[in-house]
This record gives sequence, C-alpha cells and structure tokens, in this order.
Amino acid sequence: MTSEFRKPGGHLISPDGNWYWDGIEQQWKPASTPPVAAPTAVNRRAAGQPKSEPSNSLSSFVGSVRSDDLVFGQTVLVWARWILIGTGLLLSFWSPTDLLTLQIQLAAIIALAFGNFYLHVQLLRGHPAIDNVVYAASIGDLCVVTALVIVQTGYPSPVFIFYFAAVVGISVAFPTVLTAAYTAIVIGVYGIICFTTAPSDEFPAVFTRLLMIAAIAVCGNLFARNESHRRQDAIRIHHELQDEAAASPQLSPVNPA
Amino acid sequence: MQNVREVRTAAQANLEDVFFGQTVILWARWSVIVAGIVLVLWTSTTITHLTETVPFFLALMAMNFFLHGRYVMGSPLNRATVMVASFVDLVLITAIVALWPGSHGLDNQFFVLYFPVVLAFALVFTRRIEAAYTVIAMLAYVGACAFTGTVHPDLGNDDKVLVMRLIVIAAMGFLGNYYFRIQRDRLARASKGTSSGVEGLVAGLRPATAPARRR
Repeated sequence: MTSEFRKPGGHLISPDGNWYWDGIEQQWKPASTPPVAAPTAVNRRAAGQPKSEPSNSLSSFVGSVRSDDLVFGQTVLVWARWILIGTGLLLSFWSPTDLLTLQIQLAAIIALAFGNFYLHVQLLRGHPAIDNVVYAASIGDLCVVTALVIVQTGYPSPVFIFYFAAVVGISVAFPTVLTAAYTAIVIGVYGIICFTTAPSDEFPAVFTRLLMIAAIAVCGNLFARNESHRRQDAIRIHHELQDEAAASPQLSPVNPA
Repeated sequence: MQNVREVRTAAQANLEDVFFGQTVILWARWSVIVAGIVLVLWTSTTITHLTETVPFFLALMAMNFFLHGRYVMGSPLNRATVMVASFVDLVLITAIVALWPGSHGLDNQFFVLYFPVVLAFALVFTRRIEAAYTVIAMLAYVGACAFTGTVHPDLGNDDKVLVMRLIVIAAMGFLGNYYFRIQRDRLARASKGTSSGVEGLVAGLRPATAPARRR
C-alpha cells in the first residue's frame, strides 16, 4: 500500500484520498481544504472513491504505508545531502593537492548539488519525488562518496565519514529491508576497498569503521520503527476514545493522562 | 466527537520519548562496547595492556546490562540517569581517542565511535539538550586532539581533517534531532486524531466522505 502521486494536480495524496501533502508547511492537510492545484479531475476521482472503512483514514499513515515515512524521511535525506555538498565544497578548496582530484571532486559535488536542488524544490512545491527517484538518489550519494574514497587512495581517505551522514538519512527514511540492503552494500564495497588498500595493522580501524556504519543504520531504523508503532497506538487510542464519546454523548471531556 | 482531545500532556510526551528512545541509546552503546572489546583483544600486544584496558569496557558492559535489563523489565531509568550514562560514553570514547596505545588524538582512527552515540542521543532528547551534548562531544574531541599535540592551528591538512570530522559529528546531532522533531510532531497529531494543526483537528474528525460531498 503506497501513497499516490497524481498529476496534474500534483500533490501527494494519502491512500484513502482524505489527505494531501503540503510541501511548503511539511504537513499533511485534509483534502477537504482545497490545495492550490487540487481540484482536478484526477483528484476528484480520488476523493470520490468509495470508502469501505472510514476509520482507516488516520491508520493509513502508519504501519505498512512506507511511502509516507519516505516523504518525511526525504527531508532528512535532502538535508544530509546538503551537508555532504557544503562540506565537500569547503574542503575541496581547502589546500587542494592535485588538479585531477580537485576536478573529480568538484564535478561529483556539483552533480550532486543539481540533483539535490531538484529534490528539494519538489519537496517545497509539495511534490515529493516518487520512491524510485529517492532510492536512486541515495545510490548516487553512495557512489559519489565511494568515488572520492577511491580517488584518494582508499583507506587513507578521510572522506569516508560522509558514508555516515548518508546512512543516517537512509536508515530513517527507508524500510528495514532496503536499509539493510543499502548498508550491506556500503559495508561490502567500502570493506573491499579498505582491505585492499590498508596495511594489515590498520584492520582493527577498518573493522571499527564498518561496525559503526552498521550501528548507525540499526539505530536510525530502530527509532523509525518504534515511532511508527507509537503512532499506531496513539491512533488506536484516539479511535477508542472517539467510540466512547459517540456511545455516551453526555460524557465529560477526557482528561489528559 | 468534540469531547475527544489530546490524551498526553507535554510532560508525559517527554517521558515517553525517553522511554521509547532509550532502546536506541542502549543499542548504540552495545555497538561501542563490541567495537571496544574486539579492538582490545585484537590489538593487545602485552598482558599488561590487555588487563589495563579491558576493565573499562567490562564496566561499561555491566552498566549497559543493568540499563538494558531495567528497560526490558519495563522500568527504565529516568532522564537524568540516561543523560549521565551518555556522558560516561563520551568520556570513555574521548579517553580511547587520547590515550589508545600507538596512535593518539587526530591520528587515532576510533573517533568514529562518537557517531552512533551522538546520533542516538539526538533521537531521544529535545533540541537544547541535544545541541549541548553535540557541542560537548565536539569540544571533547578537539580537546583530545589538542591534548595529544596532534593538531596545530595552522590551517593545514590536519586542521582540514579535524574540521571535516567535527562537521560530521555535528551533522549526526542535527539530522538525528531534526528527524526526532518530525516524528514527535507526527505523533502529537496522531494522538489528537488529526494530520495537521487546528484545521486538521476539525477536518480529521469529519466523516471520511466529506471531500467527495464538497466537490
């Protein structure tokens, strides 16, 4: 079950058609409040779809609906990428060593900046990028960092730390399976690079780096899953209170716990 | 319908954040412990070295066993204790960076241990506390590098590497807490039964067919 991205209305619509994504305010808003480009034929069809379970409206934002988590996690990914770009630019101009390395660094960083600008503009306009674009962009991040590591002779390269920023974004935005896959790719590729370029007495440091990349992924994804469960519980409690209130209209307001 | 309102107070929300977030800190600490013990066993060249370094990690392990046990039993420690334990993590990692045999300060490659600890803390605590913790972690690392004389303020390559590492430590704190605030907002809206602010509160309690009728 995923959210739908409908053109030309352009806004991300929740699976039940009751909410749309306002990228400016970074909030879900009810579809009954017309968004700027919402009243289109496709959105009317979406809103007019028969709803077998009205109570599912809020539940559609938790549990298996990972696209919605991706929308929220996408802002973290975009900011992580801006940090990578800004830091990369700063450090490229700080005592550059040779021309070829600088050329490759700048080309990669500028390409990344263009891609990230596109994704950020999409978010600001309330049009989160489709899932596959986000997944591909994250692969692009990892490729850029890997290219920089290789250009700077592998293990001695200090830019490997940017893997951490990329993995943080991935771990909070992507489902567990994809997070595990991306992390495994990072650990595998970077591990091979390090074990072929590092002297054997540096292997403990290589091990530490790889373990910490995995730890970052576990922490981020664990937190994201915990939060999903908490939201699910909160919505369930809310529905139960609604049912109670509907059953006894004279009931006094529910006090905060 | 109008009888229903937010069921959690702000204080309760804070306590819940520490309760649920504590597991992330625990797992981050386990990763540091595993890394530390493996490194000690792997790199020790003398019995003295091994017997002098392992007790630190055993103490940390005992502390985390206690904290994790309390968490699993459903009675996690309070906010202050979690913060103290997190500061102990920073002290230990800084000691590893400054005092590890062979390479010290900037040359020590175990600075990466800061990353999961700072991230986990940022996923649990509010912005000011998180910012203070991240700044302390950065200052601790700068202090360790300065204490060991491995970095000099000459804007050379060492300074560049130091700045790069500090930026990533700061990024861990910023990104973690940014996501924490997003999730907290989502949870608050879910608790109210709405997807956004005041308008959402009204719209969220409407029958789901309302948008169709309106158009």
